[in-house]
Amino acid sequence: MAAADSPSAALRRDLCSRGIRLAGKMRADVVDLLDAYVEQQGLDASAGVAAVEGVPLAAVERWDEQTGTQRLLENLAAYRAFRALLAQMLEEQREQLGEADAGLGRALAAVLLQVSAFAYHLEELLRLESRGIPGEEGDAPPPPPRLSLFEQKLRGLGVLRELAQWAVRSVRDLRQLAKPSPAPGLPESP
Amino acid sequence: MFSGWNWVAYGFYLVLNVCSPDASSGLVQSCGHIIPESPVLALGSNFTALCILNESCLDFGNIYASQIIWKIKNRLVPKEQYREINRTVSSVTFNDTSSLATPLTCNILADGQIEQNIYGITVTVGLAPEKPKNLSCIVHQMSRFTYVMTCTWNPGRHTFLDTQFRLRYSWPEEIFPDCIPKDVNDSCTITDIQFFVNTEIWVEATNALGKAESDPLVVDPIDIVKPLPPQNVSVSSGVLPTVLKLSWENWISDAVMTLKFNIRYRIVGDTNWMEVPCEDTAFPRTSFSVQGLRPYTEYVFSIRCMKEDGVGYWSDWSEEKTGITTEDQPSKGPPIWRIIDTSHSPACWTVHLIWKALKPFEANGVILQYEVTVRDKSSLSSPVKKYNVTSTNHTLQLPEGTYEVTLIARNSVGASPPSVLLIPASNSKAPVKNLRTLPKHDKLWVGWTAPNSYVLKYVIEWCLVSSSSDCIIEWQIVLGDVQGIDLKGIKPFKCYLITVYPLYADGQGSGQSVKAYLKQDRPSKGPTVQTKKVGKAEAVLTWNHLTVEEQNGFIRNYTILYKTIDGNETVVTVDPSKTEYTLSSLTSDTLYTVRMMASTDNGSRTGPDFTFTTQKFGKGEIEAIVVPVCLAFLLIVLLGVLFCFNKRDLIKKHIWPIVPDPSKSNIAQWSPQVPAKHNFNSKDQMYPEGSFTDVSVVEIEAEDKKSFSEQDLKPFDLLKKEKSTSEGHSSGIGGSSCMSSPRQSVSDSDEGEMTQNTSSTVQYSTVVLNGYRDQTPLQVFSRSESTQPLLDSEERSEDLSGGADSTAQRQQYFRQNGGQDETNTDRPCFERTKQFTHANEGDLVGFVQLQISGQSSQPLGLGMEKNTQEAALSSVLQTCTEGQTVRPETVEENPLPVDEMPKSYLPQTVSQGGYMPQ
Repeated sequence: MAAADSPSAALRRDLCSRGIRLAGKMRADVVDLLDAYVEQQGLDASAGVAAVEGVPLAAVERWDEQTGTQRLLENLAAYRAFRALLAQMLEEQREQLGEADAGLGRALAAVLLQVSAFAYHLEELLRLESRGIPGEEGDAPPPPPRLSLFEQKLRGLGVLRELAQWAVRSVRDLRQLAKPSPAPGLPESP
Repeated sequence: MFSGWNWVAYGFYLVLNVCSPDASSGLVQSCGHIIPESPVLALGSNFTALCILNESCLDFGNIYASQIIWKIKNRLVPKEQYREINRTVSSVTFNDTSSLATPLTCNILADGQIEQNIYGITVTVGLAPEKPKNLSCIVHQMSRFTYVMTCTWNPGRHTFLDTQFRLRYSWPEEIFPDCIPKDVNDSCTITDIQFFVNTEIWVEATNALGKAESDPLVVDPIDIVKPLPPQNVSVSSGVLPTVLKLSWENWISDAVMTLKFNIRYRIVGDTNWMEVPCEDTAFPRTSFSVQGLRPYTEYVFSIRCMKEDGVGYWSDWSEEKTGITTEDQPSKGPPIWRIIDTSHSPACWTVHLIWKALKPFEANGVILQYEVTVRDKSSLSSPVKKYNVTSTNHTLQLPEGTYEVTLIARNSVGASPPSVLLIPASNSKAPVKNLRTLPKHDKLWVGWTAPNSYVLKYVIEWCLVSSSSDCIIEWQIVLGDVQGIDLKGIKPFKCYLITVYPLYADGQGSGQSVKAYLKQDRPSKGPTVQTKKVGKAEAVLTWNHLTVEEQNGFIRNYTILYKTIDGNETVVTVDPSKTEYTLSSLTSDTLYTVRMMASTDNGSRTGPDFTFTTQKFGKGEIEAIVVPVCLAFLLIVLLGVLFCFNKRDLIKKHIWPIVPDPSKSNIAQWSPQVPAKHNFNSKDQMYPEGSFTDVSVVEIEAEDKKSFSEQDLKPFDLLKKEKSTSEGHSSGIGGSSCMSSPRQSVSDSDEGEMTQNTSSTVQYSTVVLNGYRDQTPLQVFSRSESTQPLLDSEERSEDLSGGADSTAQRQQYFRQNGGQDETNTDRPCFERTKQFTHANEGDLVGFVQLQISGQSSQPLGLGMEKNTQEAALSSVLQTCTEGQTVRPETVEENPLPVDEMPKSYLPQTVSQGGYMPQ
């Protein structure tokens, strides 16, 4: 209880709350963006996209057995990867369409900002966990191979879909983190 | 001489230095420069500038720093501010840069006081930017997915310099592009907003003198959102008549923020909003059912929203949407009243039942019909009559009696509670007391004192009194505990008749009425006054009452103002009930102007002027004058007639005198010897009024001529002369008669000689001189009843005289009324017409007196015969018309000796030389 009343606990709660809402907003925006992206790129919404290299997967086994730190680290790694992927997508988008579809570009930029913001939230939470923040360089994914235009579109579709999944997972992760933890490092009850 | 050339060379050098191009430093190489170059200075600070002279100028032109003068915009800087640092550098110091202006120039005052500019700089003075304050931001939702954040701040004082403001914001690991305001310096709008991340926002102000930053504002933009109001609001009625369901769409997804709402509503036409309690709408939703509404009422709804936790701003109100609740049965019965018309027959009433339509909140729907039930309470056996009416009145023909009327309003849902009205046979109950009115703003308050008995209700009737149309009754029912109401819809300046009836449980009280105005004004026109009757000193004025539309208030009095044209105005106040007034004490035969003024409590209005003139005579005055005058005239006429009647013979004699027939004249009887030739002088025809002129016959003997005194004979001389003169002009008596003057009446006694002969009648006579100048004298006094023979004889004598001058021997002298002197001889003959001849019938017995008072107006020399006849006739006529009295005198009555004043003439016997009938 004392931890709950401390400033760090309040800050943690606030960061979790804000992160949850940000993840929710991010998911909503990504869902909207997906529709626009599919339409804009001329893709089929039902098109199946296999796992894209470099895109972290949201699905995980024994999710409920993860610790808070583990959740934060996985989220941070994923969103850092998404940040890079989205930045690449944005650049490719500008190269392909120029200023012809500024709306899609603005939406991509907005999602990119949200991803960055969410990564910042995760870093702050990790600081509160008294855990060192892993270096971004080391975790940076390898530069993606040169892809064809269609492959770029498919990859973009895969990134956005996976980001939407991660947004949902992140909400759940942060809700878990928001709950008062009995002891750091211990597995949390589902 | 040498020195002069030096100075010329020096000046030329300076000009060359300033103006001539230089290969190394550009077009112009000056003799010096100022440090600093074009500085920007803080207002109020101190400032020092240095002017550094070039060495080359020193060598050639003997120019030193001591010769430097400083100027600000051509104004010399005091030398106290100068300082000569060395022989090429001079400084100037300003303790306060506010005294600076552009340009600041460095000048040389060379020998000969020639001032030459060396260099100049532009000085810019301003202020460093202040720290922006009061930074605040708000996020506006522009569309479903678009948000912009607008931040405002206080830029601080004016810097007089070009100052740039920029809004900066960042995340800890992200720096965003600055927002640079356009055209303003106190706000900027950021279009790229990300929620759920604390953003640090601050304002940076920069100019040449420095930079200032505001305190940072750290805020999550989601906490300062002003969302768009709910969209697509719709209202639908529910099952219950008191509920309406409100639905809408939120344009902010729950992922961004959850909302709470605020709902307001009002009845259409009403301005007051009601709100749904906040706690009922403090959670996310898209619909809400508003309860407690009136049935069949149209409502207007509006809704707004904000973040559920209350952090942020309320949105604007949404567009208004209306909805109508469903119908319900009427909540009360319509107020009912009656107007009973007994004008046809007191025993048979025409009952006009009137009721008011229910108010919308009472009707709760559309009233489809009214059900009227009439029950005769005086006869239990009478059947109950029912009527279905769609209007709000119903007329019944009922025999006099007591009735109970029940009214029900019905709509599509159901019927209202019944309204009951008792119509008694007579309003025998006690009326209200002390009925009074009082205007209160735009309402007219009617108050009364309740009767002693318990009153169920009061009915207040009022109507606008009009002269052109019937009084349209409006009415209102109030409960028995009310003793005053405000009448609405009352027009100002209009007269209202207000009647209050108390309704008892078992009857009705008689109505008490009062007239009232909400607001009074002065009459719209004044009365038109006119006279009904105008007399000598009074006038009856009459006028018509102003119509009630013209009165505009209670007429308190009439004022009559009347005046003469130049007189003071008199004012009379008249009771307003009168339509006639008598003005008295007026001046006769005078023009009056009268006008009339009607007055209310709020002013007066004067009618048109009316003028009238009082009569010159009063009633009966003319009669009083005319009647006596007429009577007097009639009396005089009567007396005159009587007199004339009495004197008819005399009048007849004068008007129609008896003309003697010359053929019957008998002159021979009394003057036979008189020769025919005799003078017929007109002088002899002069008679005094109403009297005969005595004819004195003087027989003058030639021998005795000397026995008379000269005095006595003088007239004869004159006569002789006259005669001779007369004869010179004409022959015969015509000439003599006209030459002679008319004889004056006796009253003309101013002439001495005339007094010799008093009133006496001149008779036709002839005086024949006897023995004049050795001729045979003739002394003949002839008298004739007619002139005609005399004329004949005269003609003959004239003929005679015309044949010889023997007539000159005769001397005739007619003394009439004391003789006629010569002064009258020149008078016109026609003046004799004033003379008149008196003829008395009585005289005709012995003689005929014929007076020839006027001879003729013809000139001398005309035929005497004719003249004499006309003269005789005119004389007679004049006698009649002038009413001269005739005083007959006979010689017999006045026998006088001849030597005295003979006043009569007696027929004489023919003496010597007398006239003899021929």
